[in-house]
Amino acid sequence: MSRGSGSGYDRHITIFSPEGRLYQVEYAFKAIKSVGVTSIGVRGKDSVCVVTQKKIPDKLVDPADVTHMFKITKVIGMCATGKSPDIRNVVQKARHKAAEFRHEFGYEIPVDFLSTRMADEFQVYTQHAYMRPMAAMCMFVGIDEEKGPCLFKNDPAGYCVGYKATSAGVKEQEAINFLEKKVKGENAGNAFDETETIQTAISCLQSVLGEDLKSKELEVGIVTTENKNFRLLSSDVIEEHLTAISERD
Amino acid sequence: MSGIGTGYDLSTTTYSPDGKVFQVDYAGKAVDNGGLALGIKCKDGVVLGVEKLLAFKMLVPGSNRRIAAVDRHAGMAGTGLAPDARAIVTRARQECAQYLSFYGDRIPAKILADRMAHYLHMFTLYWSVRPFGASTLLAVKDHELGYALYLLEPSGEVQRYFGTAVGKGRQAAKNEIEKLVKADAAGSLSCRDAVKHLARIVYSTHDEKDKAFECELSWICDQSGGEFRRVPKELAEEAITLAKAALEDDDMADA
Repeated sequence: MSRGSGSGYDRHITIFSPEGRLYQVEYAFKAIKSVGVTSIGVRGKDSVCVVTQKKIPDKLVDPADVTHMFKITKVIGMCATGKSPDIRNVVQKARHKAAEFRHEFGYEIPVDFLSTRMADEFQVYTQHAYMRPMAAMCMFVGIDEEKGPCLFKNDPAGYCVGYKATSAGVKEQEAINFLEKKVKGENAGNAFDETETIQTAISCLQSVLGEDLKSKELEVGIVTTENKNFRLLSSDVIEEHLTAISERD
Repeated sequence: MSGIGTGYDLSTTTYSPDGKVFQVDYAGKAVDNGGLALGIKCKDGVVLGVEKLLAFKMLVPGSNRRIAAVDRHAGMAGTGLAPDARAIVTRARQECAQYLSFYGDRIPAKILADRMAHYLHMFTLYWSVRPFGASTLLAVKDHELGYALYLLEPSGEVQRYFGTAVGKGRQAAKNEIEKLVKADAAGSLSCRDAVKHLARIVYSTHDEKDKAFECELSWICDQSGGEFRRVPKELAEEAITLAKAALEDDDMADA
């Protein structure tokens, strides 16, 4: 079927198609969506919140072992969407880079720098045939000393940029449409307080999934200027937010 | 759609248009053709069982074991391509030994599972290697979790389970295990009972069309002193006798 270079081969390794596309990178994005999970990240004036679905298809799986939220350092968190084995690899790399930076320079790696370095790694896979792109979309969150709350998203193409609010996964586009309506104006990304940040993220997820969520189907991670450590909200606190959202609507 | 993956399935470094890495999926199929391997986490330990399909009549019974200890406090049951399963066990043994040598303590369950996940995943990344055609069930005892059961798959997916099964007949086996786990919501299933259940499940899901088989049973539990051991001979024989009897009862009921 593959006739060497031409219409076939560019779909097998990351080389350019005649139209200038990298099909393998595009297929990596499809692999992420095929997992069927959506994540949302929202930045506020003094906090950043990431929310993801906790989907457990097999009743025999121990739910305590399922997570998509990872501490890269005490103060940098990552929400990853995509294939678990690839996510595990990315987490390991990110932790390694952060630790190396701390050892070499004597201070904690800034979120944007970590995100950019990870993006550079991902780019390598899109240029070398010997490895495939990782099927993992990563949202890094942290409170930067100089810039304040930060939310960065990395994708398999090696693209990385900061966001006021974003989404990853199967309902990415619908979520982004929802968020664009909520987070607008000059002050966008700098207006929400902690509660608004969390509730915007959770209500966005509920809206695009079209169903009311229970606290055990969600993971919510947060960093705030008061408490820079990345932590997950307990299910009681998530429940309070869910109730507040449903009363509001 | 590309049907059975024509053209996109030749290399682990190729995604198909719908985002699958077919080589990894195919490695999973190699596992599906292997004998059943199953495990249950009980209140006082973890029990592993394997349906070892015997290809030849002249095989010495009890040889070519599919379940192996990886350290004193951990063991693995493998299915799929047997040599690949052995390679995974070898690596796990090296991880345990290295951790012990470096940190002076037995490797914790989460860390062993994580390291093995990374190792298996690595073989799904490079052109020059193929994924392992074997899945393994890992039973570990450690300070934090007590007893834990993990399933390690060729894709590098590693999950902790209350109970699970892989290989031929896994769907029927998983249904049985689910019933046990559900009924055992209080967490009171003991290893002794689980051994009997596992043997029963192995015998009842065994495909008649297949050749003869042996049922291997191992456990790590309070009764074994927290060490990964073969289930004691008397208990194993009792379990197998009960399993065979249950099968005959079923046959008689059907007839």
